[in-house]
Order: sequence, then structure tokens, then C-alpha cells
Amino acid sequence: MHELSMAEAIVETVLDVAEKNDAQEIVEVTIEVGELTMLNPEQVKFLLGVLAEDTLLEGAEIIIEEVPVEIKCRSCEFTGLANTDGSDHYLAIVLCPKCDERNVEILKGRECNVKTIKIEKSDENA
Amino acid sequence: MKMHKIAEVEVQHDIMVANRKLARKNQKMLDNNQVYAVDVVGAIGSGKTTLIEALIDSMDYNIGVIAGDVISKYDAGRFENHEVPVVGLNTGKECHLDAHLVEHAFHDLPLGDIDLLFIENVGNLICPVDFELGSHMRMVVISVTEGDDTVEKHPLIFKDADLVVINKVDLADAVGADSDKMVSDVKQLNPDVQVIKTSLKTEKGFDEVKKAIEIFINENS
Repeated sequence: MHELSMAEAIVETVLDVAEKNDAQEIVEVTIEVGELTMLNPEQVKFLLGVLAEDTLLEGAEIIIEEVPVEIKCRSCEFTGLANTDGSDHYLAIVLCPKCDERNVEILKGRECNVKTIKIEKSDENA
Repeated sequence: MKMHKIAEVEVQHDIMVANRKLARKNQKMLDNNQVYAVDVVGAIGSGKTTLIEALIDSMDYNIGVIAGDVISKYDAGRFENHEVPVVGLNTGKECHLDAHLVEHAFHDLPLGDIDLLFIENVGNLICPVDFELGSHMRMVVISVTEGDDTVEKHPLIFKDADLVVINKVDLADAVGADSDKMVSDVKQLNPDVQVIKTSLKTEKGFDEVKKAIEIFINENS
């Protein structure tokens, strides 16, 4: 269950950035999760909700954007999206969509990136 | 009058990258102390601890061990019987070691007196995939008793492996597992990796594992 430790790290990051930006409330958080991470987005979302209680993050909308797998083929030099139907991890990491070779390097799809947050803050100039 | 406004803040903080950075720091610390580290991952009960015990007894290095487990005292106790420095890392609710935990363990190890460090990860083929520790190589240990579809079901851990051990091959017939299929499944995912079939009970393949690790160490120095 390493969604919990990841969710804790996400909350820590988000609260840190929010405080540095004098947020009074966090409205929205966008997180990029790679398709090849061993993270279940629904579980991450659920745990973020639990951990957010009594913090600035409570009630914020959590948006999770899945990052598709990109590969570089060591056989034919193809670079780009891997051939995956979303149901079979195995195919995504073994097969080059161009030459069907298995010797591929994974370029994208393993991230867990806190991309942006939307915060509410007082507007001193208003 | 104070008004409220909504602002979007670019964060771009990747938790995975943060762990990877810590892992790099760990490796630097190991290199500064001339320690070569092997991350041993694998299924529960596949023989990770037994393999490390046998390596401790037969390898000509000053060995140290970090024993990571949900409750680490059982494995740590086994290693202590071999009179090597051991640190047990309790992961509690967590299913894997991470770079931060390992860094803590370094403080309790006499790194200056160690030249080969085994880091035994929690028995799990899923979660450790996302977490580099700073080791120089990753050895994956599975056994035929987990079923010969284990590799297919957990591809990523084999994709990243530097050495793969398929243990308990003496039991393959008894459990109806095809160990050759397991080898070829690994090769499909990771064409260049060395896959060694072992039985730690009969010592089949053990010398090969020892030699393979020695080659990795020599290539690094």
C-alpha cells in the first residue's frame, strides 16, 4: 500500500507551496501520475481526501492526469507513445509499436508529479 | 476592503524524482566509503534471506546487511548469527524500502568497515519498483513455488533488474511450474539480463549467482 506514503508526500508538497504563497485555501490540485507507476489513482485520491482533513487542502478538488507511456526503441530508434491498450502493462513495456521489438527504454510514464495548485488568497490590491 | 482572488501556482514537484535524488545521494555516500550495494528484492518466501546468508558465508568481502521488513527483527536476527553488521529497518505499514529509510540505516552501519552491502527489501514484487534506494545493482529473487506466471504478472520489476534468480527449481515438478518459461518470460522483458536457476537447498546455481555479483562489483571498481 504505498499509495499512503505517496499521498503523504503529495500533501506535504502541496501544503508547503500553499503556505509559501500565503494561501488561505487550496481550491484545486493537479497531479500527473504515470501509467507505469504502481499507483492506483483512485486510491491516491481517496487517501488525499483523508489526509487533507483539517488542513488548507480540505475540500480541494483533486485532478489526476494519467501520463501515457513513451518509449525509445533501441532497435529501430522509434521514439514516442508505446503501444498500449491500457489493460496490459506487459505489452506497453515490451513492444515497440513500429518494429515490434522488445528492447525498449521507458521515457515517460513513471512520474508522480504535483503539477499545479489553485489557491485562494487575499488580494491586497483590491 | 480585502478581496479574495484565485491564483494558480506552478509546482512541478515529482515525488518519484525526489526519491531518486535521495537515492543518488545515498549512492554517493556508498561510493565515498567504497561500499558496493546490492538491493535484493523479490517475492515473499522466495529465498532472499537464505540467499544472502549463503553469500555472507561464502564471499570474500566485508559484508553488511540492511534488513528491511514490515517487522525486521526476524531476518535481522538471522543475519546477526553470521556475525556481520546488521541494521533492521521496520517499514511498519509500508510495503517497500525507500531512499530516505535507507539513508537512516547508513548512520547505524560501520560503512568504513564494509565493502559489500546487501539491502534486503520487503518481500513484494510491486511497490519496490517505484523506489530506487541508491544501490549499485538490483537482484530480483523469485521461486517456482509462487507459480510460473509470476514474471508475466509483475513485468516492471524484471524490466529494471540487473540479475534475476529463480529459486527452488528442485520443487518445480512438485508444484507443476515450468522454470524454463519463467526464464524466457524474464528474457522477453529484459533481453540482456542474466537469469540463474537455483536451488539453495541443493546449492544448484549458487556459485553462478556469487560469480555474477562479483563480476558486477569488479566492473564497478
